[in-house]
Amino acid sequence: MAVSPEAVSVPVGAGRAAKSDLRKLGIIVAIALVLVAVGPWVLPTYMVNSLIRAFLYAAVALTVDILWGYTGILTFGQSAFFGIGAYAVGLIFTHVGYGPGYATLAFFAAVVGAMIVAAVVGWLAFYHGASPLYGSVVTLVLPIVVSQILYSGGNFTGSSSGLSGFESFDVSIEAWFWIAGVFLILLTALAWIFVRSDAGKVLVAIRENEQRCEYVGINVSRVKILLMIVCAAVAAVAGYLFAGVQMVVAPEYAGFVFGTELLIWVALGGRGSLIGPVLGTLVLDVSTSYLSGNLPFVWKLIIGIAFVVVIVALPRGLMPLITGAFRRLLGRGKEVRAESAPTLAAATEQPFAGLQGGGAQALAVSGVRKHFGSLVVLDGIDFSAQRGELLSLVGPNGAGKTTLMRCIADGGERSGGTVRVNDHDIGRLPPYACVAFGVGRKFQNANVFETLSVAEALRIARSRLVRPSLSQHSTTLELPEVALQVIRATGLDRDLQREVRQLSHGEKQALELAMVLALEPSVLLLDEPTAGLTKSERTLIGGILVDLAQRHRLCILLVEHDLDFVREISSRVIVMHQGKIVLDGTVDDVVNSELVRTIYAGGAAQAAA
Amino acid sequence: MTAALEVSGLNSGYGEALVLRDVALTVEPGEIFALLGKNGMGKSTLLKTVMGFIAIRGGSVRLFGDDRTGQPPHRIARSAVAYTPQEQALFQDLSVRDNLQLGLRDRSHFDEDLARIGQAFPFLPTRLAQRAGTLSGGEQKMLLVARALMARPKLMLIDEITEGMQPSVIERLAGVLRGERDRAGTAMLLIEQNVQFALAVGDRYAVLKRGEIVDRGAVGEAGAVERITEHLSV
Amino acid sequence: MATLLDIVTTAAILFAVSAGLLIVFGVMKIINFAHGGFLTVGGYSALAVTKLGWNPWFSLAFAFVIGGVCGMIIERLVVRPLYSRPLDAILATWGLGIIIGQGITLAFGREVQFVQSPVSGAVDIAGGSYSEYRLLLVGIAIVLAIVLGLALNATRLGLVTRAVIMNENLAKGLGINSGLVRFGTFSLGAGLASLAGALITPLSSVDPNMGVPWLVNAFMLVMVSGVSLVSLGVACLVLGGAQVLVSSWGNPILGGLTIVVLAALVLRFRPQGFARD
Repeated sequence: MAVSPEAVSVPVGAGRAAKSDLRKLGIIVAIALVLVAVGPWVLPTYMVNSLIRAFLYAAVALTVDILWGYTGILTFGQSAFFGIGAYAVGLIFTHVGYGPGYATLAFFAAVVGAMIVAAVVGWLAFYHGASPLYGSVVTLVLPIVVSQILYSGGNFTGSSSGLSGFESFDVSIEAWFWIAGVFLILLTALAWIFVRSDAGKVLVAIRENEQRCEYVGINVSRVKILLMIVCAAVAAVAGYLFAGVQMVVAPEYAGFVFGTELLIWVALGGRGSLIGPVLGTLVLDVSTSYLSGNLPFVWKLIIGIAFVVVIVALPRGLMPLITGAFRRLLGRGKEVRAESAPTLAAATEQPFAGLQGGGAQALAVSGVRKHFGSLVVLDGIDFSAQRGELLSLVGPNGAGKTTLMRCIADGGERSGGTVRVNDHDIGRLPPYACVAFGVGRKFQNANVFETLSVAEALRIARSRLVRPSLSQHSTTLELPEVALQVIRATGLDRDLQREVRQLSHGEKQALELAMVLALEPSVLLLDEPTAGLTKSERTLIGGILVDLAQRHRLCILLVEHDLDFVREISSRVIVMHQGKIVLDGTVDDVVNSELVRTIYAGGAAQAAA
Repeated sequence: MTAALEVSGLNSGYGEALVLRDVALTVEPGEIFALLGKNGMGKSTLLKTVMGFIAIRGGSVRLFGDDRTGQPPHRIARSAVAYTPQEQALFQDLSVRDNLQLGLRDRSHFDEDLARIGQAFPFLPTRLAQRAGTLSGGEQKMLLVARALMARPKLMLIDEITEGMQPSVIERLAGVLRGERDRAGTAMLLIEQNVQFALAVGDRYAVLKRGEIVDRGAVGEAGAVERITEHLSV
Repeated sequence: MATLLDIVTTAAILFAVSAGLLIVFGVMKIINFAHGGFLTVGGYSALAVTKLGWNPWFSLAFAFVIGGVCGMIIERLVVRPLYSRPLDAILATWGLGIIIGQGITLAFGREVQFVQSPVSGAVDIAGGSYSEYRLLLVGIAIVLAIVLGLALNATRLGLVTRAVIMNENLAKGLGINSGLVRFGTFSLGAGLASLAGALITPLSSVDPNMGVPWLVNAFMLVMVSGVSLVSLGVACLVLGGAQVLVSSWGNPILGGLTIVVLAALVLRFRPQGFARD
């Protein structure tokens, strides 16, 4: 494939936007640092103490926001990691001793311990195919287990009263305020940079559409486990500092109730906004420490009511209300998307990346069977296809066409038989691994990421080949020529920063096709790509498909109901009926087949008889 | 006489895709109306929209003269409408008897109706305790029709009932539907891909293509068969 | 012998406590974290009956009605908008649990209180004596299972409910008002939870947070049971039995963890849990 020399450049100051964002962040961080610096001198001591604790809680809430607000993992378990960090200090300072060396030891014990536990929990909670509910179940079990172990630890863990009175850092309360404050500010700034980076968008993509992520080659389980490990480490550091300043640790800090309290703070502040959860935690925790003395139960009742109201009526929390009010106050209109469009460029293509050559045969399916209980959907499917073929799968509803597509793109789907892609047996491998062999699958209904921009969605699709940056929001978007062709032909190149959910149905279909092509697949599976499109859109897609097969030598497998369309573009047609291939031939064979006519127009049973 | 079903200017679809565009059709009491079209042309969507499963984007649905636009499915069903979906139409794990009873609001005439309908489908009365999921494909389809008839509907909405049926059963079914119409004056809207069957039972027909009605007429009309074949040809 | 009785009575208690949660999860596909709150409501209903000096047996009916009414109000106001957001429903119902707990604290105070048991004393079985009330609970749990089983499998209402569980859209298309079924189910689930709360209070005591530990165990048992009463019974016997064994031969605190840990592991390797495929 030739690299297209003419990279369309959209000459907007793309870099400028990122820089101005960074400058804004810098100003906010500077203001926050100044506030933290003067805090201990202007605030009453009780407030200073409350805030130190709230800073550390807010750091944990931040990890909950990353996991739940951004990635969609409802976690009850961050408290456990906080507790692990705190108990690392408590146990080592109580039983081993205090000193710089021990403090360092405790720090590593906290972080490494939390990371190991997180890895185990992640392995348990996020296996391939796990339901989101199961993930939440595991995160709920974790703090219960950790706190019960602490309860049962006798004198070693101090049981229900925990550990207290151990010698700890000789640091003034002002200094603790600065340490905790700076920790929170830097953490928030880092998190802010991360969620805006290319890698951060992967998290949102997972929340939006985990299945599509798998099918663009992202190992979702692995991403979730890694994220869990990092968030656990951060929570453990917060717990470490907490124990250092409070000189008290108790099982409640690792418990399930604290875990849900974190969720309440995040929900009230506004999930998925970072700053909302941080402010929510600070405000709620500090007011709790003031108000719970005077009206202990009523205050908790109010929090409970506010939480329920927010979950039911304001799922995005209170933050959008506040920022909205601010904007109205300042007379500014709607929120403007700060990022300007990235520059499009042709990517250096790497077909068959990670594979040993192209393989002799693009696709070989043999003896593939699929049954649900006693219902047989695919009954011994055999065929193979070469590069450059445009093979249409036709047949009435329930013939098994979509099921066959699924069995090619996901090794876990079929009940029997083998599927080889570019001479690699897909075995039982999950979809992301099949993508690595060269499979690209477009779903029947446009399967995209609704809240991402067009450019972000395309970049997610490239993340298999171009490792996304953890800190940068890229200002160029490199795509293979064929993907560029699709987005230009459909005008999406002028809409790169538009949110996907604002696109028309046809544009979404085109976007999904471009995303699949961005994977640089060699075997392209398309399930009714023209459903719901207008006549002109259909013609356009048809032309692109023919070009992909003929010029770019892709092997295309197409499920299509529109037989006129099939006739125009296919090089070969397979007719399926009741889970079997009944005809495999040229377009003319099919058009002239009496059998096919009866299957479609007459009684299906007559055809089978 | 007020029409059993009157759909006018109907727009509907899934998500942002508009599947039906400005569809209008009327089914008179005692009339069997066949709606033809290939897969993916919006036929099932029409029935689901009439039933209230899919939100109406424009236009109206009237049943027996009453405006029912936007009403929930159970309210539509309770206005003497029996709907037979194409897929997952039976409670597979429930018995044949339970499946039949779930279609009824008034169970006082269960035995009487079962005896009558059992004449057309002799296997039914003898297998009431059997799990519906263990019936053969053709038997399941017959159970579906029986369930709809037991409800004593004034309008039946039937989605591709002949799919996967033996020719002999299709023939019997045609007799049952026509018999019910003659006996009780039930109006029926049939969605079909099987043209022979549709033309054999229907009084009028329409062809749906890409969400729009492209042809309509009386079944016996000169040239009707040719036009339909043209629209549905490979 | 005592261990065997412990296992059976523990399973019975767990079954009574989990049944309401199972029914709500089965029909509505949402986890009702206010279940713990409803248990607490039941406990305090029993306390109210004790304080009023009424017959302790009356507390069961009283708790069922109070819990059911709470369920009705909550379904309308909070749960209905969340059917399409199951994870948010967990959170909102957890918030409801907090509200219920704090409301009870305001009304009854936060201290631990005791409820009069309808039966006290012990019976001699196989050479040892055993709490009469715990044995009675086995009978009540069996009656509860039979009544629920019959209601679900032998009445029109049960048939309609099962139809909604199996295929809600099909049920709607046959004229079944599934919204009403959900409303009824949630109220019933709340009533059952409250009844269970009244049943367990004579064993220990009441306090405003008494429901939370039960909630977690009930939740895990429902997770491994799918939506069947039979598999819930099996899960209660197996996991409850394991809990008794670990508590008596190991350590009571670890015993308290048995159900959650085993259930999580069972689900990891067999996602359908104790249910048939």
